[in-house]
Amino acid sequence: MLTGVISLIAIIAGIIIILLFIGIGIYNLIVSLRNKVDNSWHQIDVQLRKRYDLIPNLVETVKGYAKHERETLQNVINARKLGIDAKTVKEQAKAENMITGTLKSLFALSENYPNLKADQHFLRLMEQLNGIESNIAYARQFYNDMVMKFNTRIQTFPGNIFARMFNFLSRDYFEIEEVSAREPVKVKF
Amino acid sequence: MYEQIASNRAKTVFIIIGFIIFITLVGFAIGYYLDWRYGISNNYSIILMIFALILAVIMSFSSYYYSDRIVLSLTGARPISREENPRVYYMVEGLSIAAGLPIPKIYVIGDKGMNAFATGRNPQKGVIVFTQGLLDNLNDEELKGVISHELSHIKNYDILLGTIVVVMVGMITIISNIIFRSLIFGGGSRRRSSKGSGGGILSLILIIVGILLILLSPIIATLIRLAISRNREFLADSTGALISRYPAGLANALKKISMHSEVKTASSATAHLFIANPIGEKSKVMFKSLFNTHPPTEERIRRLENMSLGVGIK
Repeated sequence: MLTGVISLIAIIAGIIIILLFIGIGIYNLIVSLRNKVDNSWHQIDVQLRKRYDLIPNLVETVKGYAKHERETLQNVINARKLGIDAKTVKEQAKAENMITGTLKSLFALSENYPNLKADQHFLRLMEQLNGIESNIAYARQFYNDMVMKFNTRIQTFPGNIFARMFNFLSRDYFEIEEVSAREPVKVKF
Repeated sequence: MYEQIASNRAKTVFIIIGFIIFITLVGFAIGYYLDWRYGISNNYSIILMIFALILAVIMSFSSYYYSDRIVLSLTGARPISREENPRVYYMVEGLSIAAGLPIPKIYVIGDKGMNAFATGRNPQKGVIVFTQGLLDNLNDEELKGVISHELSHIKNYDILLGTIVVVMVGMITIISNIIFRSLIFGGGSRRRSSKGSGGGILSLILIIVGILLILLSPIIATLIRLAISRNREFLADSTGALISRYPAGLANALKKISMHSEVKTASSATAHLFIANPIGEKSKVMFKSLFNTHPPTEERIRRLENMSLGVGIK
């Protein structure tokens, strides 16, 4: 009779221990996914900082050849400031899209200045900027992939229980805010 | 894409479980054989297997640990710098970011055949090698497809998995050799007469089946290894599609590659690392598909085209 009670207690204790380990496993998985999201955001940041560092150099080079194009150059500088000051994912996304837009105008402008287009320094800067531009796109893709994994984990069962207990919140995707960016590019002659 | 990746991963698990069951059966057969031949207990079969395992690990360890250097010297590859080939460098850098991997080292083989492979024991030590023929003949999207496929091998730790499987095959082969030699040369008392005649026939059949299993086990293990290799190729295709987000790129690349994939410095030892079979498809062997390290190219293209939903296919 006593051995029966003891083995029952042992079984219950065993089940509780197993559940505990499973719970620890789930919690750690959520934490490591959250850290992957944070890390992948910082990877985007690394590319963005590289771009911020290049832009003043680019502006100076262009000014050397096209100093009357004040408005376009100022747009680039303003957009860059917005990006540096951005605090949230949404603000950052908005600033980034603006920078991309202003840089496009800058490049279109350079078509009118053949001397600028032939400048080796300018060409190298543009090559680097293009590399950074595509790296930003890839980093955003990876960040969004990580956000999807993390959000799915804390929104589905059993992760959602842990999310409520430890206050894990869903993250924002790095989206295109600028509506016009989704429209097809109009070519004017 | 996600379904393909999930199903490929599930198949890997099934094949590995099958492999473990197979090894266990071989273990039982050994135990039964040793009992029949020498009248010794089952413990010796476990000792034998552990011995074979350790031997196989020792034999394979250095090839795994130094896999990047060994393969590079075997194939005569040389490194490329960013200045030398910015197009390839920027593509590899960007796709590594999309894959969440450190940027692998990039090498090139001066062969006109179109092929590529990845090696390195973990993502930090990743290496991707291209042939000059591949770099010259693929357009940007196709090259991105190939790069994504190779990055997937690194990301999925396929080199580690391949090595573990090779160790298992090595272990089976060693055991099979030992048993084979003991069958021919070994002494020891045969056939204990303590069983009745009915049990005698059954145990005779079991002995014969067991010995056959042991002798054939290297071939069976190799077939399993090749099945795993083909399965991981499909997984690399689908994971690569997720990285590049453009399955048509790899599909179009495979169409070009399948016709011209021979690499002169490759051998049957390194064949499984390449994206397409580097040793020509010329030999007509029965059941060739079972002995292939790669799945049929048409099937790979078909799956990629399914993923792409028609976008970008030529």
